[in-house]
Amino acid sequence: MFDIALLLPLIPALPLAAAIVIGALGPWLLRDRSHVPAVAAIGISCLLSLLLLWSVHQEISGSARQRPAALAYTQHESGGSAADHGVGDDPAGNRNSAGATAVGFERIVRLWTWAAVEKAGLAHTELTAPEPANAGHLGADASTVHTPTARPAFKIEIALRADPLTAVMLATVTLVSLVVAVYSIGYMHGDRGYWRFFAYISLFVFSMTMLVSASNFILLYVFWEAVGLCSYLLIGFWYQKPEAAAAGKKAFIVNRVGDFGFALGVFLLWTTYGTLDFHDGAVPGILGQTRLSGAAPFVGGATATAICLLLMLGACGKSAQFPLHVWLPDAMEGPTPVSALIHAATMVTAGVYMVARCTPLYLASVEAQQIVAVIGGATALMAAIIAITQTDLKRILAYSTISQLGYMFLALGAGTLAGVTAGMFHLFTHAFFKALLFLGAGSVMHAMGGVIDIRCFSGLRRIMPVTHWTFLVGCLGLAGVFPLAGFWSKDPILVALHDQASTSSAGSLYYWLYIAGMLGAALTAFYTFRAFWLTFYGPLRTPPEAGHHAHESPPSMTGPLVLLAVATLGVGAAFGPTRLFEQFLLDTPSLEYARALAEQAAAGTGAHVGNDAHGAHTAVALLSQAVVLAGIALSAMMYLGRQIDPEKLAAALDRAKLYTLSYRKMYWDEIYQATVVWPAWIAAQISAALDRLVIDGLVDLCGLAPKLLGAALRPLQNGLVQYYALAMVIGLLLLLGALLW
Amino acid sequence: METLLLIAILMPLAGAIAMGRDEQSARWLSLAVTLAVLLCACVLAAAFPIEGPQATKPFAAVRIPWPDASIHPDRPPQSLPPHLALDGLSLWLFALTALLMVVCVAISWRAIDQQVPLYHRLLLILETGMLGVFAAQDVILFYVFFEFTLVPLFFIIGIWGSEQRRWAAIKFFLYTLAGSVLTLLALLAVVLWDYFHGASGRLNFSIPLLAENLQQHPIDPQWQVLIFLGLFAGFAIKVPLFPLHTWLPLAHVQAPAAGSVLLAGVLLKIGTYGFVRFCLPMLPEATTKAMPWMLWLSLAGIIYGALVALAQSDFKRLIAYSSISHMGFCMLGIFALNRLGLQGAVLQMVNHGLSTGGLFAVVGMIYERYHTRHIADLAGLARRTPILAFFAVVLALSSIGLPGLNGFVGELLVLVGMFQRGWAEAPQPYAAQYRVIAVGATLGVVLAAWYMLWMVQQVFFGPLREPKPQHAEHDAAVRDLNVREILALAPLAVVIVWIGLWPQFFLARIAPTLDPYLNPYENISKNVFRAIPDRQHAKHTEQPAEHRQLDLRDCPDSTAALTRQTGAGAIPPVHSSNLQQTD
Repeated sequence: MFDIALLLPLIPALPLAAAIVIGALGPWLLRDRSHVPAVAAIGISCLLSLLLLWSVHQEISGSARQRPAALAYTQHESGGSAADHGVGDDPAGNRNSAGATAVGFERIVRLWTWAAVEKAGLAHTELTAPEPANAGHLGADASTVHTPTARPAFKIEIALRADPLTAVMLATVTLVSLVVAVYSIGYMHGDRGYWRFFAYISLFVFSMTMLVSASNFILLYVFWEAVGLCSYLLIGFWYQKPEAAAAGKKAFIVNRVGDFGFALGVFLLWTTYGTLDFHDGAVPGILGQTRLSGAAPFVGGATATAICLLLMLGACGKSAQFPLHVWLPDAMEGPTPVSALIHAATMVTAGVYMVARCTPLYLASVEAQQIVAVIGGATALMAAIIAITQTDLKRILAYSTISQLGYMFLALGAGTLAGVTAGMFHLFTHAFFKALLFLGAGSVMHAMGGVIDIRCFSGLRRIMPVTHWTFLVGCLGLAGVFPLAGFWSKDPILVALHDQASTSSAGSLYYWLYIAGMLGAALTAFYTFRAFWLTFYGPLRTPPEAGHHAHESPPSMTGPLVLLAVATLGVGAAFGPTRLFEQFLLDTPSLEYARALAEQAAAGTGAHVGNDAHGAHTAVALLSQAVVLAGIALSAMMYLGRQIDPEKLAAALDRAKLYTLSYRKMYWDEIYQATVVWPAWIAAQISAALDRLVIDGLVDLCGLAPKLLGAALRPLQNGLVQYYALAMVIGLLLLLGALLW
Repeated sequence: METLLLIAILMPLAGAIAMGRDEQSARWLSLAVTLAVLLCACVLAAAFPIEGPQATKPFAAVRIPWPDASIHPDRPPQSLPPHLALDGLSLWLFALTALLMVVCVAISWRAIDQQVPLYHRLLLILETGMLGVFAAQDVILFYVFFEFTLVPLFFIIGIWGSEQRRWAAIKFFLYTLAGSVLTLLALLAVVLWDYFHGASGRLNFSIPLLAENLQQHPIDPQWQVLIFLGLFAGFAIKVPLFPLHTWLPLAHVQAPAAGSVLLAGVLLKIGTYGFVRFCLPMLPEATTKAMPWMLWLSLAGIIYGALVALAQSDFKRLIAYSSISHMGFCMLGIFALNRLGLQGAVLQMVNHGLSTGGLFAVVGMIYERYHTRHIADLAGLARRTPILAFFAVVLALSSIGLPGLNGFVGELLVLVGMFQRGWAEAPQPYAAQYRVIAVGATLGVVLAAWYMLWMVQQVFFGPLREPKPQHAEHDAAVRDLNVREILALAPLAVVIVWIGLWPQFFLARIAPTLDPYLNPYENISKNVFRAIPDRQHAKHTEQPAEHRQLDLRDCPDSTAALTRQTGAGAIPPVHSSNLQQTD
């Protein structure tokens, strides 16, 4: 009904236009009205994203395509399908999704050729595919596809794609962005850099929407860095604060370390596959129909593991996973709406999105999957432990974000289709309740005159009722209390781990990860409600910065809070138990491939995934509810009813330095300082000294040589005629001697 | 077009001669001339053919009357090949020079207040030299222009520089001159080899003809290595390649802003340009042998330059060392010896000129305001001079290779080229080395972000801190950029974004020229020491049409000679006695 080829480029284009308009006119014309273009553009983009979501849904159901139960994996008509899908020359990129062997639904929109180097790659025959992944299942006959052809070009197009995964991400990003942009009207009111803020936010929405709709790895990388730039600019928004400027720099550089891994991964993909496109072009795309339908193999073995781990390093940087999580808590120096939008709801989930997008690559390497899961589990638990003792409300939420992202990676690392969809669903619900919590914290901060330390205020429910109630909803959602959003998304993660623990060959590993997930859920409930009780209950106290009339925030700020609270209450139940989200997502080509593989595996073993485990799943849900409630109850006893004195408990724990370990964030900043920053600094000083003394010294020495030679010979020409005469006589004698000899 | 090229090169010289004594008119004349040259360069770039047979030919070829010597005086005199022309390799460097010159005149407007006419005269002479180097299609012209650029810059640094200017100027001059003397010998050796061993039997100075002839009559491998070393001496110092770089920071620090801009923006490129122009097509065996060495040196430069930059407290030194790091990327791309790397390297030359040249211009503007080059003296300038801060951040981000800006494209292509070399095209004993180099170079990108952002954060962000004004007239609050300064930096920013968003526009004009340069290296992965391809293959499929036509038309005898030789299928034996004569 709506042309996807038109909708898709418009979604990022509008915020970009807004950013340009605000940047050009903001300082002298728009000033206090700078939010108008931003909110309008993001609003329309949000509308278009929903339209796109609907169009994709219509296309999938309207074409009445039945999902082929066993695609072409067993008896692949690889030659035919490769020819069918070599549609790289189709300018509009429209592909008939109802095609017989089409895997999932995708539509490519090509805009322009960014760069092309002809004959850059190796000829097909030389593309090594010595260890096809899942060779047993797919059994692709390489010879049919790997016919010798011309050397492929290194061709990077500005190509966007529409598929269910992208559509969901676009809708989430633009929706949360819109809410946050509206909230910022009130929050940023009167700031010196009002126009700058909205210009950056628009730029961010542009970058993020491009990131999730990019259809090749270079474009993904470009916008991966672009959102990092926006993050850098917005963290350092109040650049007069030295902490803000330093935090921005730290975020950028830690992300650069992650991007280093990502870049290496991309380069390896190029040398392995000879293309960087997701979709099929002149060469079968990395995530294109040819490969997904089994007509061309995915590379397996050590190469696959290396690629996946390098990509994961990039995801660790962007999604603040262990060991690159250190930048996110510091990033809270930025304005609170930024924390809500970029550092909680959208940008930090880019890593999750990328790994989910690359599911087929991860399916080719079991080791990589397990490492993803371990990183996710370790991060989830570690960040939760740190969050317990922090006193800065925004930092508690930041560590909570790190922990929840850890859950998403835990899900992705489970290596099952259920895990991937659960991780994506958690991403989706998390965007709402975490944005809600951050905006609530921002509302508190606004009323408290910029103070955000939970030791400095209490009992705020009396003066900030709306913030209080919406924050409560957010806390319940984050803690995962039935039937709020967090429950519906966290439960499937634990279920996926539980299933893997019983079926996978690495069962014990997944069992421990399952336990870590459970423990993390209890800790999440505890720290969330600790912050809640301390902020909103107890006697009413406000810091002196708040003045005498601390009050509830204006409607432009409470409105978004209420909206997000409603979403937190609703989205879980609406999409979780009904499986709407999961079903929709399954039409993504990458995931449909995973599904087909899983079904094939299930058919092979005769097992049937899902149904007979129902009882176990209920037990997991009940257990998780029990630990969550226990966490909430403990926090209530400590901080609400004061039956347990937190000080004494802390002192008791500190005998084993446990409290300090958590309070000092497990010393990660210090560790990095000692192992990376100082060695680099010392290496730099040594190099500089070497440069000055040795290398330049040698050069100057060479320069000195003629001078020294001159100095040595200078006494010979001393202007004394007798001396010259003597020299002449000696020379003459020598000459005569030589002749007579 | 031919006239336009000639006008563009000679107009600055004419301007320098015509310049009067009045300061203000000298500035305006200088600006008018550089703008006119820029216009010429734009027209030339716009008319440059993208595809078809025209694309591989030298464009806007100018023929200059030239003496013709021959060991066969009975043959009719040769119709001379072009001596000045543009091709894909030189086009954007030519345009970059024209652009940066306008920037230089603009930023010198107030900064230079002594001996203004002389300064502008030297600047214009320098422009002729730089444009000439890139347009020269002839060994002699190339070398003349190559040395010609040294003299005006020597005076610019020595007269208008900072406190240690004399020492810097002398070191710069002697260091580069010492290297280029050897380069001259090497270039002459190439010409004489062709004279004695080539089919034409003529004294050929034309670079395309030499390249063509030497692919048919390759130089003896030992001689190739010697000649390579000679060329290396001049070009590697010019680049500068680690460890021959120490003249650069000193010269940059002491030079006036415009001198630094031109030094970093254009003069360093002559070194990399020379490697591509001479070593790649003329000395394939030596280049192949030198490849691992050159790659290691490039990597050392990338990492070492970045580390030293990290330890600097002086703006200009920091940017100078970042230049060493970035030029390492150019060298890495060239000696990856594949299409991705080479095209990336050529684009990266232009990118580096834009971003580093721009950064030096920005530093000059800061210096003009505060008279300090110490990073620690300044903080929070974004508050006082937001427009300046904006340009500085854009240029810094371009320099660290942020996607969407130009630096990313070049670095990406270079690194992908290097990975291609390491993983897919490496001759077996070298694969591990090349992989280490590829990964190490990628690490350099992380370090670049570190030092650049450190500087940006120190200087532009945080609470405002300014040094005390030294003179009473500076007491008034420091102003932000004026229109002149904005107009000087804006074109750089526009081109930076342009290359970032649509590099294909630039690459499409670069590629056709560069592809034949790589013919000798097609099979390098098979066997590292048999780099020279089968001559028949090279002859019949890959040679640029223009060169062949010239060859056939001009020297009827050479065709016969060639067919004889290809028929015989043997490489003509090398006569060592002939070699003696080249000395």
